[in-house]
Amino acid sequence: MNPIAALLADELPGGRVLNSFRAETAWALCERVPQAVVLPETEDEVAQILGMASEHGWSCVPRGRGTWGRGGRPPDRVDVVVGMTRMDRVLAHEPSDLVITTEAGIGLDRLARRARRGRQWLPLDPPGSTRGSLGATIGTASAGPLQAGFGTPRDHVLGATLVTGDGRLLRLGGRVVKNVAGFDLLKLVPGSWGTLGVITSLTTRLHPLPELDRTLLFRSSEVSSAALLARAIAAAPVTLAAVEMLTLEREDSRCGREPRVAVRILESPAAAGEVDRIVCRAAGQTPLARLEGRGSQAFFDDVRAMENGAELVLRLSLLPARLSRLVKAAAGLRDLAEQDAGWGMRMAAHVHTGILRVMIARLERSEGWLDRVVSVLARVRRSLEAEGGGLVVSEGPPDIVRSLGAWGADRSPRELVRKLQREFDPVQILSAAPWES
Amino acid sequence: MPLTPSLEKKLAVVVGDAWVISDPHRLLAYESDGLTAYRWAPAGVVLPKNTDEVSRVLRILSEEAVPVVPRGAGTGLSGGALAKERSVIVGTARMNRILAIDPDNRLARVQPGVINAHLTEAADPYGLYYAPDPSSQSACTLGGNVAENSGGPHCLKYGVTSRYVTGLTVVTYEGEVSRFGGLGREPAGYDLVGLFVGSEGCFGIATEIQVRLLPKPEGVRTLLAIFDKLEDAGRGVSAIIADGLLPAALEIVDGPTIRAVEASVYAAGYPTDAEAALVVEFDGVKAGLSADVERALTHCRNAGAREVRAAASAAEREALWQGRKKAFGAMGRIAPDLLVQDATVPRSRLPDVLARISEIAKRYELRVANVFHAGDGNLHPNILFDRGDQKELARVEEASKKIMAVCVEAGGTITGEHGVGADKRSFMSLVHGPAELDAMRRVKAVFDPQGKMNPNKVLPDLLPDPPHSPALPVPEPLKASV
Repeated sequence: MNPIAALLADELPGGRVLNSFRAETAWALCERVPQAVVLPETEDEVAQILGMASEHGWSCVPRGRGTWGRGGRPPDRVDVVVGMTRMDRVLAHEPSDLVITTEAGIGLDRLARRARRGRQWLPLDPPGSTRGSLGATIGTASAGPLQAGFGTPRDHVLGATLVTGDGRLLRLGGRVVKNVAGFDLLKLVPGSWGTLGVITSLTTRLHPLPELDRTLLFRSSEVSSAALLARAIAAAPVTLAAVEMLTLEREDSRCGREPRVAVRILESPAAAGEVDRIVCRAAGQTPLARLEGRGSQAFFDDVRAMENGAELVLRLSLLPARLSRLVKAAAGLRDLAEQDAGWGMRMAAHVHTGILRVMIARLERSEGWLDRVVSVLARVRRSLEAEGGGLVVSEGPPDIVRSLGAWGADRSPRELVRKLQREFDPVQILSAAPWES
Repeated sequence: MPLTPSLEKKLAVVVGDAWVISDPHRLLAYESDGLTAYRWAPAGVVLPKNTDEVSRVLRILSEEAVPVVPRGAGTGLSGGALAKERSVIVGTARMNRILAIDPDNRLARVQPGVINAHLTEAADPYGLYYAPDPSSQSACTLGGNVAENSGGPHCLKYGVTSRYVTGLTVVTYEGEVSRFGGLGREPAGYDLVGLFVGSEGCFGIATEIQVRLLPKPEGVRTLLAIFDKLEDAGRGVSAIIADGLLPAALEIVDGPTIRAVEASVYAAGYPTDAEAALVVEFDGVKAGLSADVERALTHCRNAGAREVRAAASAAEREALWQGRKKAFGAMGRIAPDLLVQDATVPRSRLPDVLARISEIAKRYELRVANVFHAGDGNLHPNILFDRGDQKELARVEEASKKIMAVCVEAGGTITGEHGVGADKRSFMSLVHGPAELDAMRRVKAVFDPQGKMNPNKVLPDLLPDPPHSPALPVPEPLKASV
């Protein structure tokens, strides 16, 4: 056992520090192999670990259920991985309050099963596996198509326990929907990417399960006309659960190769018929298919899984009404994909929020490919940034992310952000801010 | 202490002579906010017209270490705009322009002095509206809403201000201009917009605000249920929520409030022998509303409602809301003074907490009238009293502390939408431990290292107080006159 693991094992109850782990697979982060992997079972243990790390200057990275390990900027050094898999309990669920409190390591799938007992759900559908942890979803502010109707993690979280880099335990927010007692430090937690502390528990707002789940699928012959169709639907005077514009590179049984617009309606049966009519009127066509219940859910589960297996995942953004411009920008990325490998390139746009996800199964690797990818992405990023938008590399080969930076030019006041970070992590032992290039 | 002539001159160079106020008579209007029991004359008032002027004004004031208090319309209910310690008020009254409405992106960009209701009026031709609707929406400003993270009766379904603010231009005490958030670009770094919203003017002044607009719901249906017991109304609310319905609003007024309203010019036709009136509102596509209303009516009847009324027209809807919306005004008729509380409890604890509030009122021989957002557990127990009666005033203060402690004990918090301001600072340790208060102090210091931006608000003084101690002294006098 190396010295860091040995020190941790001395201080913590038995069984918390992994004696051996297959460094090259499960616990490595972007090719960095940690010195120690520790699996705390209580928030006090997390506080103890981070307190020790601050004292000794060990760099720490929190880890959820390990379903997605490559987001953001690759860490320069990882001494200790704080794995949250054992902190996965439901602490309180009061159905009549529409609120659930859980430990942060709970999988979204388990949380969903528990909520369903009270005929409720957490309408968060981040990309990737449904087994991903709540803590990681909130920590990375990950959201999917349902953000159109229900918002992003910041809108779902009512309270959190955060252990700061120097081992202080902060109980932020509460468990009521309306709460203005003091400065809202809780808002710093979603999207903090492990830079402020380790989230140990979360209180989230649940919603009643929808009575009816329907997806309308519209077809369009070209991506450019699909973008116009998607915007026309999004402009309909009604709140929709999700509107996604999708393309597949390969043949699909339902639509062939054509792009499509998927509209998800979660309503009472009486309202759904009317919303359906309003959407069809806005689209100016009848849908190719209406998927009901499980079919509707399965379709959006597939959308959620679209990033799985991709070597490169990008998020391009502009104001939502400029979707056509985003689609044009993405067209220039097609040549980066290996044409004969896997499914080529896919696109999926959150039409209401102006985020276009581009997924490439495998990058084309002829001579000079790395420089070519970097230069193409940098050019697209510059042109979008000039128009008030951006390009985020949310998953990609570490060399590409390192040379481009995951986020690109930073419009937020950098010094203020750094000062805030230091108030939570004075010794700076936590994950490097992924938005720093 | 008034403004020094040299300071006044410097400020006037930036904003013009007419917009620096130092005449003591004119300063009277700025002595308090909606919590009128606190009064404190500011050293002066400056009214800049844009971001650049705010920045230059703050540079001048910070160079001389003059404390600054931002102020919108002054409708706040927690003394947040109170200007103690020779502070200078920087008012947003002249920054009242709607800069852009972008219907395609469902966004608006406004200056902070724009009145909440005016934004909805301006968005109306596009079929859009601004969702957060605090009761003072015809007077309060969006800058004030950002500072307080304001709610309103419809936040059960739509959420509070923070959900709708997507970008901010902020000027800090040293006059530095920063831009936070903004739609169109995935945020890199922390959610500074979310952090700033609700910071009660302690971090800086928002000089431009980008907000999300919503499509106007196609239809609205409102119903009123009358109960002989307050607990039954509470059971009705629980049944509606348990059934998976999500009304836009669920509001209760209790018996004493009903009688106050009916005895006033605002009489809404509620039966005076009733002990609770429940207003339920649904909105959305018209086709779905009738079924929702029918289900809610059934739940109300099953919970023991003796009478239910559904509004058939906009005028009838207005009439059903009348008793709820005019409740505060009506109470002025039955007591000279009123202390408005604002605690929030988990919805499931409402019946229990209401019973305990009623016990507290009995024990301290006080009249308490309840008006509350039942859907999200946000209570407004109003303690009625006469400030001339010193003994009664002491009982009011004791009862008020007890009520807050009961709400916190039930898993709630001390303020749901009015903010802490100067009013509830000493109660912060009921809900936050020393580590959390310390973290808040540190974050405040990141924005305002000198501690001069709306000083002595929100955070309690650094006293060697034990954690979660309910026994801190109450600010004097803790009350609001109507």
